[in-house]
Amino acid sequence: MTATPKASEHGTAFEPLSATFAQNPYPAYAALRDKGEPQFFADFDMWLVTRFDDVAGIARDNAMVRSPEFFMSEEEITEQKRLQNWLDMPHHQRFVQFSMLDSDGPVHDRLRKQVFREFTPAFIARQRTMIQSFVDRLVDSLIDKGEIDFVEELASQVPGHIIGRVLGVPDEDCPQLRVWSERVVQFFDIDRSDERKALAEQATTEFYHYLLKLMAERRAAPQEDLITRLMAAQDAGQLNEDELVSTCMLILMAGHGSTIDVLGSGMHAMLRFPDQMARLKADPGLIHTAIQEMFRFESPLPFFHRYATADCVVGGKSFPRGTKFGLLYGAANRDPAAFGDDADVFDAGRNPNRHLAFGGGAHFCLGNHLARLDMEVIFTTLLKRLSSVSLVDAEPQYKRGLSVRGPKALRLAFTPA
Amino acid sequence: MYRVTFIDADGQATELTAQQGQSVMSVAVANGIDQILAECGGSCACGTCHCYIDDSWTERLPAPDDSEQGMIECLMNPTERSRLTCQLKMSEALDGLVVHLPREQY
Ligand code: FES
Repeated sequence: MTATPKASEHGTAFEPLSATFAQNPYPAYAALRDKGEPQFFADFDMWLVTRFDDVAGIARDNAMVRSPEFFMSEEEITEQKRLQNWLDMPHHQRFVQFSMLDSDGPVHDRLRKQVFREFTPAFIARQRTMIQSFVDRLVDSLIDKGEIDFVEELASQVPGHIIGRVLGVPDEDCPQLRVWSERVVQFFDIDRSDERKALAEQATTEFYHYLLKLMAERRAAPQEDLITRLMAAQDAGQLNEDELVSTCMLILMAGHGSTIDVLGSGMHAMLRFPDQMARLKADPGLIHTAIQEMFRFESPLPFFHRYATADCVVGGKSFPRGTKFGLLYGAANRDPAAFGDDADVFDAGRNPNRHLAFGGGAHFCLGNHLARLDMEVIFTTLLKRLSSVSLVDAEPQYKRGLSVRGPKALRLAFTPA
Repeated sequence: MYRVTFIDADGQATELTAQQGQSVMSVAVANGIDQILAECGGSCACGTCHCYIDDSWTERLPAPDDSEQGMIECLMNPTERSRLTCQLKMSEALDGLVVHLPREQY
């Protein structure tokens, strides 16, 4: 069976699977925000939250959790999974449906602690030289082409390789990991068809066997990498093998997807606001605020859910324990109540910029510093090495769905500096 | 009402008032102390609410717990005076606290 929701049946104008929404979700987000209270969206069986204060409040509240196990019985959870076509995919259930991202409380904290060190500012800052030389080589290979698909030929080539190096995956395996990651992640989105399900399960299985092989290699010859350190943590009883595999998959998948999307949408934003690109070129010191603004302006993961473990009030309305909320970060990050009347304008110098693109609370994006450094190196290098950049297609196509945001392709014409 | 003073990297001091139990981070964020980014919103999960406790106060604060200590060790330029402002809750004992802000959080 498939569980593909149809948005229009329920008489709501909110149609997150439509092409119109993919091209520009912000009018729909504004309409939801203007309603004030959270709005029930039957297709996903959840309450959509769009105002900045409400979204931030839920994301940061420890009584709002990712996993339903705090208030649902195992039978109820299985029934839910059956309805969502999440059963009968053993490896996906074992390594993807269970993860640090979907755990809470002490289990989440224990897993996060194991990988935390590799993602902290001090550790990430030491990767700068490696990232710079990787990007330099890539740009060297593209600079004479005059026209490229920025998403495929540049953005997609960087974050996966960098996270691969942190984890300990050889460069030559990264293209394969990207294929697996995409197949697994695609099933998270709204189209839970049997066909996608088969692809996701097969990708998870192959990914698992790949990691087993890599672990055996490290067992024989330990290296200075995250996977070796996680295996030591496993030996010390801090996590079991399934948790280790699941955590590696989560890190690789997170490292492949959203940074590529925000690189694409960030480049597109600068081309839509050429005065801001010129401003950044004239004052490279603005790179940090510019990158923050890219995350705010086109949040690459605009949608996450939480369950309430206690009765609560959101946006002035009361909700019982067990309520499922959909947090629309993409909507909150354009809320004029938080960002002013120019919330829909890309401002490379916006400061402060307390956006929610990395979420909030205990699940705050672990890879945020690495993503920002990848972006800093790429954009700084390009602004230095290119004298002009322009869009080849005036209207690049964006990916469909509510849970990701980024252009499918971004053809650029450019001249070297 | 308690007092807490933030001194930025250029030596500019700002004195603010705080409620019982309010975190030093939330005092900063509510009053435009923009050097406290506090990206995770106070869950000890981001490390962007870093400050250096003034010498006159280091002895008087309760020690950081394990998760705060673990985070501090991974920050840029940590010292033995480093603390996360989201984990410091204002009380009678902290009235008059003075903290120094790093120039950048990361
Ligand atoms: S606000 Fe994130 S660690 Fe303090």
